Amino acid sequence: MSRAITLSLFGLGLWAVVFCAVYALHGLGCAGGWAGQPGVAGLSLHRAAMVAVWVAGIGVHAWSLVSPVFGAGPLGAMPRIGAWMGAGATLFTLFPVVLAGAC
Amino acid sequence: MSRTALQLHKEMEAVWADAPGLRGRAASVSHNTIGLRFMATAAVFFAIGGVLSMLIRAQLATPDGAFLDVATYNQIFTMHGSVMMFLFSIPMLEGLAIWLMPKILGTRDLAYPRLTALGYWCYVIGGSVILLSLVAGLAPDGGWFMYTPLSSRAHTPGINADVWLLGVTFVEISAMAAAVEIIVSILRLRAAGMSLARMPLMGWYILGTAAMMLVGFPPLIVGSVLLEIERAFDWPFFDVARGGDSLLWQHLFWLFGHPEVYIIFLPAAGAVTTILPVMCRTTIMGYRAFVAAILGLVFLSFGLWVHHMFTVGIPHMALAFFSAASTLVAVPTSVQFFLWVGTMWKGRPEMHLPMLHIMGFFATFIMGGLTGVMLAIVPFNWQVHDTAFVTAHLHYVLIGGFVFPMMAAATYWMPRITGRARLRGVGEAAFWVIFVGFHGTFLIMHGLGLMGMPRRIATYADNPEWVLGNLTASFFGMVMSAGFALFFFDLVMQALFGRHARRNPWGADSLDWAMVNPSPSYNFASLPRAGQGPGDTLALARGQGVLAGAPRGLREVLVVGADGTPHHVAVLPGNTLLPLWTALVIGSFFGAMLAGLYWAAPLALAAVAAMAWRWRLPRPDAAPDTVEVAPGETLPTQYGVAETLGLTGLRTFLVANATALASLLFGFGFLAVVAPGYQPAPAVGALGAGALAVVVAAFGAAALAARAGAAWAGVVANALAVAALAVLAGQIGDPTAQASVALRAVLIGYLAVHGVIAALIAAGGWRAGWRLWQDYSALAALIAAALAVAQGAS
Repeated sequence: MSRAITLSLFGLGLWAVVFCAVYALHGLGCAGGWAGQPGVAGLSLHRAAMVAVWVAGIGVHAWSLVSPVFGAGPLGAMPRIGAWMGAGATLFTLFPVVLAGAC
Repeated sequence: MSRTALQLHKEMEAVWADAPGLRGRAASVSHNTIGLRFMATAAVFFAIGGVLSMLIRAQLATPDGAFLDVATYNQIFTMHGSVMMFLFSIPMLEGLAIWLMPKILGTRDLAYPRLTALGYWCYVIGGSVILLSLVAGLAPDGGWFMYTPLSSRAHTPGINADVWLLGVTFVEISAMAAAVEIIVSILRLRAAGMSLARMPLMGWYILGTAAMMLVGFPPLIVGSVLLEIERAFDWPFFDVARGGDSLLWQHLFWLFGHPEVYIIFLPAAGAVTTILPVMCRTTIMGYRAFVAAILGLVFLSFGLWVHHMFTVGIPHMALAFFSAASTLVAVPTSVQFFLWVGTMWKGRPEMHLPMLHIMGFFATFIMGGLTGVMLAIVPFNWQVHDTAFVTAHLHYVLIGGFVFPMMAAATYWMPRITGRARLRGVGEAAFWVIFVGFHGTFLIMHGLGLMGMPRRIATYADNPEWVLGNLTASFFGMVMSAGFALFFFDLVMQALFGRHARRNPWGADSLDWAMVNPSPSYNFASLPRAGQGPGDTLALARGQGVLAGAPRGLREVLVVGADGTPHHVAVLPGNTLLPLWTALVIGSFFGAMLAGLYWAAPLALAAVAAMAWRWRLPRPDAAPDTVEVAPGETLPTQYGVAETLGLTGLRTFLVANATALASLLFGFGFLAVVAPGYQPAPAVGALGAGALAVVVAAFGAAALAARAGAAWAGVVANALAVAALAVLAGQIGDPTAQASVALRAVLIGYLAVHGVIAALIAAGGWRAGWRLWQDYSALAALIAAALAVAQGAS
């Protein structure tokens, strides 16, 4: 049961971690002038760092959506539902990293 | 031996009931007594807050309002917000949870009855001080969110802001206490066989609420402590000229302040989810979808706080993050609404009084939610920031999302509380007067806000276009107040003169109705198993459940695992005046700070430590090693198991503690990155570096001592750590010079407090708790040292 609870919290917990990490990178990059430094694929260092964390987070979310670890258990489909909620939240709340002006 | 229900009742009452007389009442630790006290006291504060709102509306009824002078008006609106938030809403939900949860879960009390009582006394004493300040004309006057620099010493030189900071922090002890004990109670004190997956939805709602309180309150407590230290000792955390930043306060405040909305909403939604299917003669639709929506709200509501700060000058990308999160939170909220509508659709709704209030909740909260989505959109938010539109929105959310459901809850559970049925007609009249009065007041305020009327102004002589709207809002505000007076009149009449109520008047199927009316002090003479309900009331009263009676004269409850498997029997403490005395001693610390007697504050803290020593619970002589909880089913008592309620509670508290540390670390990071005048703290030199090394080593040695069970070695190691911290404090420089130095000093103080507490636990002999606390302290010391190294201090 404890394992089922932990798995149910995983998706949204991961969203919280990725959200905090990207927000922290945003602040650090603006203060450190990363926006003016070259990164990869034509992106500035600042945007590249944020996009990298966002994409890595989405990758882990994607794994949780298909992994049998998150299959039905004592809490039914809650782990998988939690995984979907977390993935949706990460995708939606952090999509501005590819759209909005950084600083 | 078979016993009658009456014999069992007498046996249980002898052990669980409050003692007679004033002293007996003061010594009560019963969740029944304390829960009702919480709710009654919160209702009194609601009435006071309501009177303050009437004064505000009287002032604003005319453009040149001369009813109040500006200084008094500032105190009135600040106190209205503060009273309604901190002295009504949170204590009311705490009271409901404290009173209701053991009944719904099928147990006899919460996990820490003395902590329940301590929380209540802290609430009453702290709330009374805040209220008395208004009588003395010294009330807080900087708005209920106390923004710096307005609330700093330079702009609020009196004790007005100190009253808020110290009073609210004192009251928040009750919130933290409630959060810990409710979480532990829900996780471990359910009926036998009641796994979390079978727990009533109210349990999930309150669990989510308590978890949010556990993580949401520490940032505010840290912020309040920092601001009070700045005011008292001139340490410049929020002073831009010395490397601080007023925006740090806003972040810490709203890190609490926005989740707070959901902390208030979740229990109310839980009440709706509990009452609605009963009123509709059906079962709730979508159990797992509700649980998922609760989880979604618990997490997502912590990602929205910056939408209160959209106008402070934040880059577009950050605005977009928080705008997106603010709109996203509408999804789990909407899921619940569709499930409630679906439940009504499949049932046969009966428009009893609780249902009427639920309909009021639907109509009002939907509108508040929609204006919330509007405010989540940045350009619109910029337009209406700090206008009456926001005031209207927050009242639609809070009265719609909390007060209407609480009125539904009050009318639903009054027969359980008083054993009496209500008088017909009065409650319905009160509902309609409140409903019309509310919408007449606040619907119009949306328009006033869109017309540009700022919140918190006392006069508006140059804006004749606002006159009619304000006069109308003031009129309906008085109507609404009359409605609330009628509502409380109805409750009092029911309690005094109502007919005897049937045992289960609504035909509910939850365990809170599986007992006699009104509920006895012990709830269940024998504890139910999962799946039992009101139909088993007589069998449970006759002792045919688990852990029947109180044959050993002890307050015994069943402790279960996450899957509902019985784990052990816990013996809870009985009535005592210790919580009251402890609250008074804690109050002496806050009193010393408020009076500016800073030299007395350490003495008060020493007294608190001495009082804490008296909270140790010796094993009662009558407590056996094992108990036969049912025929052929024997369990150990808490004296023979490792995972006790105390250990679960300490683990839970450490989550809050870690959040406080994280808030402090956020302060370090935020000032270093954002504050325009920030300067890194100077290097501490060889002596300071050595002291820091000793701190880490001593905490590490104490952690090893805890593993070995060497108590006195642990005490010595912690004493060494505290002494080294004192040396380090002398090496970091002047905390009044720079915010970075001041933050370091606070971190040193944080570690020193942990060293003292670790030594106390070690000396007290609670080995498992000591090990846990010591490990946390050692980890905190390591983090602090790593931070110092990263900052180039050594």
